[in-house]
Amino acid sequence: MKKLIAGVLCVCMLSALVIGCEKTEESTTATAATTADAGDDTTESEEGGSTETGIINLWSFTDEVPNMVDKYIELNPEFGERYEIVSTVISTTDNAYEPALDAALAGGGADAPDLYCAEAAFVIKYCSGDASSYAATYESLGIDIDAAIEEAGIAQYSIEVGSNADGEVVGLGYQATGGAFIYRRSIATDTFGTDEPDSIASEVGPGWDKFFEAAATLKDAGYAIVSGDGDIWHAIENSSEDGWIVDGALVIDPLREEFLDYSLMLKENGYSNDTQDWTEAWYGDMAGTADTQVFGFFGPAWLINYVIADHCGGTAAGEGTYGDWAVCNSPIGFFWGGTWLIPAAGTDVPEGVAEILTWITLDCSETGLQYMWANGVDAAAKDSVASATVMAMSDGTLDFLAGQNMFDVFVPANEFANGSNLTQYDGTINGYWRDQVRQYSAGEKTRDEAIAGFKQMVADNLDVVVE
Amino acid sequence: MAIKSNGGRVVRNRKLVNYSKYGYIFSIPFVVAFLIFSLYPVIYTTVIGFTDLKGLGVTTFKFQEDPFTNFKTIISNATFKIALKNTVIIWIGNFIPQIGIALLLTAWYTDNRTKIKGKGVFKVLFYLPNIITSATIAILFSTLFGYPMGPMNDVLMTLGFIKEPFYFMNNKKIAQGLVMFIQFWMWYGYTMVTLISGVIGIDPAIFEAAEIDGASRTQTFFFITIPCIRTIMLFTLVTSMIGGLNMFDIPKLLVNASGPDNSTLTTSVFIYNQAFSGSYMYARAAAASMMMFVVIVILSCVIFYILRDKDEEQLAKLRKADRKAERKAMAGGM
Amino acid sequence: MASDLRTKQRASIGLKICIYVVSILLAVLSIFPFWVMFCNCTRSTNEIQEHAVSFLPSVYLMDNFKVYEGKDFNPFVGFVNSMIISVFSTGLAVYFSSLTAYALTAYEWKLRKPFFSFIMAVMMIPGQVTLIGFYQMVYKLGFTNNLLMLILPSIAAPMMVFFMRQYLQGALSMEIVQSARIDGAGEFRIFNQIVLPIMKPAIATQAIFTFVSSWNRLFEPLVLLTSKDKYTMPVMVSLLKGDIYKTEYGAVYLGLSMTVLPLIIIYLSLSRYIVSGVALGGVKG
Repeated sequence: MKKLIAGVLCVCMLSALVIGCEKTEESTTATAATTADAGDDTTESEEGGSTETGIINLWSFTDEVPNMVDKYIELNPEFGERYEIVSTVISTTDNAYEPALDAALAGGGADAPDLYCAEAAFVIKYCSGDASSYAATYESLGIDIDAAIEEAGIAQYSIEVGSNADGEVVGLGYQATGGAFIYRRSIATDTFGTDEPDSIASEVGPGWDKFFEAAATLKDAGYAIVSGDGDIWHAIENSSEDGWIVDGALVIDPLREEFLDYSLMLKENGYSNDTQDWTEAWYGDMAGTADTQVFGFFGPAWLINYVIADHCGGTAAGEGTYGDWAVCNSPIGFFWGGTWLIPAAGTDVPEGVAEILTWITLDCSETGLQYMWANGVDAAAKDSVASATVMAMSDGTLDFLAGQNMFDVFVPANEFANGSNLTQYDGTINGYWRDQVRQYSAGEKTRDEAIAGFKQMVADNLDVVVE
Repeated sequence: MAIKSNGGRVVRNRKLVNYSKYGYIFSIPFVVAFLIFSLYPVIYTTVIGFTDLKGLGVTTFKFQEDPFTNFKTIISNATFKIALKNTVIIWIGNFIPQIGIALLLTAWYTDNRTKIKGKGVFKVLFYLPNIITSATIAILFSTLFGYPMGPMNDVLMTLGFIKEPFYFMNNKKIAQGLVMFIQFWMWYGYTMVTLISGVIGIDPAIFEAAEIDGASRTQTFFFITIPCIRTIMLFTLVTSMIGGLNMFDIPKLLVNASGPDNSTLTTSVFIYNQAFSGSYMYARAAAASMMMFVVIVILSCVIFYILRDKDEEQLAKLRKADRKAERKAMAGGM
Repeated sequence: MASDLRTKQRASIGLKICIYVVSILLAVLSIFPFWVMFCNCTRSTNEIQEHAVSFLPSVYLMDNFKVYEGKDFNPFVGFVNSMIISVFSTGLAVYFSSLTAYALTAYEWKLRKPFFSFIMAVMMIPGQVTLIGFYQMVYKLGFTNNLLMLILPSIAAPMMVFFMRQYLQGALSMEIVQSARIDGAGEFRIFNQIVLPIMKPAIATQAIFTFVSSWNRLFEPLVLLTSKDKYTMPVMVSLLKGDIYKTEYGAVYLGLSMTVLPLIIIYLSLSRYIVSGVALGGVKG
């Protein structure tokens, strides 16, 4: 009897402690809530007293998205009370992310992902390719997708990429990675007499013929137009009519085939420094340290803020090439990179997932993630975002670009990007293609041999029909 | 306990039978662990080599009508042939210097007559390359030979050997050579350490006897050391061969894709590509794995045969003959 | 006679010089990547991306450490996890492999040869494709995120069994075992008290190898462990790599250096078994 009473008292004591702890937590978060933005209200009214709770399993390959979710909880504490976020971050080095994600998706169960990220390199597989059966459409989560897209002005290519085979949206991104031509102001003035984006845009394009004319002009003035053939590849790849695979067979779009010739032209005529992207020499050209200075790079906003800015050799005007850059329209529209967020089919927390997705990819208000990204809130570098609406109401001026507003260029650039010619094998096939092109431009193979070698590699390694 | 011929043998036989059960008992942990952790994947791989399993997340598969379809596809696959050729070339180019230097160093460092100062330090240093992960080494070397800017290019140009930077990684022979070199560099210390540990196990009395008999260093090495570590040599040869034929890390990580024009493509990378580079053709990958396995088994048998202990073999034959005679005698006698 | 001695001496001096030169060259060759790595962890990411290989250190060591705070990267946790996994794996592998190898050499039993061939066969299977089966199995069993899954498989280490067996064949003579049996010792005791000490050099060597390879293993832990407090060091370093445009190379090299440092320390402390002649001690007297 005594033991029973003692036992019951213990249990009461323990539960009191536990509840007490929760209460103190609640009070602290409550005070935080009152000081936070009033953005809470909109989400609460949308939910209208939702009682869904649970664990949201988030899979990502960098800590970008988990940090975003943490930020959301910071701004909306009651979301954090209803849901517990379990993030699994596996980086894409050594190709470790995809097999793990695939196994987790296939395994199912309570630990299966509820929300997962896919990078441009492999997003097609998860949206419309082999893994698309694991994805849920945004519509099915209760998001009025068409209206939201309309309001936010999401770039067309992003929607195309994120749509499944039935044309419904299963994934959207937060960045817009439409590409432009990023050039050095000083070299522009020296060669063309002006550094105004519009003038330069008409010097280097539209179209590759114009581009190579400009290359010749620059060569005469002692400059290289780009750093290496990789720089023009992304533009070429994305601008072709067909992707690599049409109806299960390999197709070499004529525009992509021209890359062989362009690559050779760049090398033979000395229009480039023959570097390979993501190597020392390529970074060196951003700081202008090579003997021959490079005029420009093709890339989206992230190239400016995360790559060129980091390697320009300085952090303020006057140091290195900082402040000597500008952006203009690319001769050919394209996009490069990006992360798409995909909800999982059969998730047990659809409302929570929908809330996060909306905030990250569709919310075009001033409390949405995209606004924060576009304006560099919280000391993050400014980036162009998926919503044109947000960019229109944001300030994209950068000291790095000597005060130019990058959104002026990137909003239209996003519209020119093509999202319909991607296949899920692109990563691999591009690797083979560029390797053979490099052999050709280095003089190791003839043009036909390069194409034949490419076809052989695709036929031998992939389940694709090759004539 | 004198052991006489007939009576003693019977007693000894009984005792041997008693002990042999320990052979089974002591092997149980290994077998159990293996069954639990390795068996399923291994059987899975073997089985799907005969099916048409491909695609992501697919779990149903049918067996091919012609069970050897996948194998035939692989053999006629041009890229596979290139991979096989590369694997052999790279393995030989890596293995011969490795074993050569390892043996040389072993000879020098276990020689009691030559006093080398700092022997210990050297031995320790040589093994160090094995400690770094392949990924790190790959990055280091690929940037070392970067083009057009890179330390190697800088050095060669300053020394006047070349006028313009050279695209090392785009040149097939050089890329292969680099892979060979890196494999050699990572593993020569390991091989040396393995061999030395075998030499340490040799009774020093033998060496003393040899020295007294006036054997030169070379004679000691070739006629005493090597035969005594024959068992360890066998281990080194077989594991180097297996490691070499299964070479994966460095070829995959050093250069993008499969090296300039497939020149650093090894069979393991080929298998990996079949399974993971987009089409998830697991069946073909499994078939290729099985084929490589067969190749390795054959080669191992060859090595085992060459390095077999001829004396023991003769002894075993004699013993067998003895026992046969015995049994005949016993059957005939009774 | 005297001239004979002198030529012998000259020859031995020549040999010594040759040995020293080669050894020094190889030593430099072996050290340089470590030097580069340690230098790199004191340089900033930008410096590294522009000049990846440098033999001179720079001043960004503390900055690289600060990157860790931002990224919620706790090297101490990673270190402890790596230690747990590696120490137990090595211990289990070494002990059970020796046991199995002893079973293969000391006893005559019917399945001995087939069993050995089986072990060899297992060793020869190329590893990449068995990965799929392995994942599926682990996910089906629900054992993900469990350190045990990374430790227990090492009980079955075919390559080590092979090595130990080869070593025992050369180094073990059954006389000792017989005399111990006569003295009345049980088989298990014989193994633990007599055979294991004989195998010291082999054990030391294999222990180092297994420890290193277990410590450096990236792929399985990367895929199997999903909670941050169970990550091993290589996994944490790989997370620093992230997206190519966000990689903080300085911090990555610092992470790599920290991963390698414990290995070097452990290796140096165990290496005296390889360096000094740890004689058998079992056969003589």
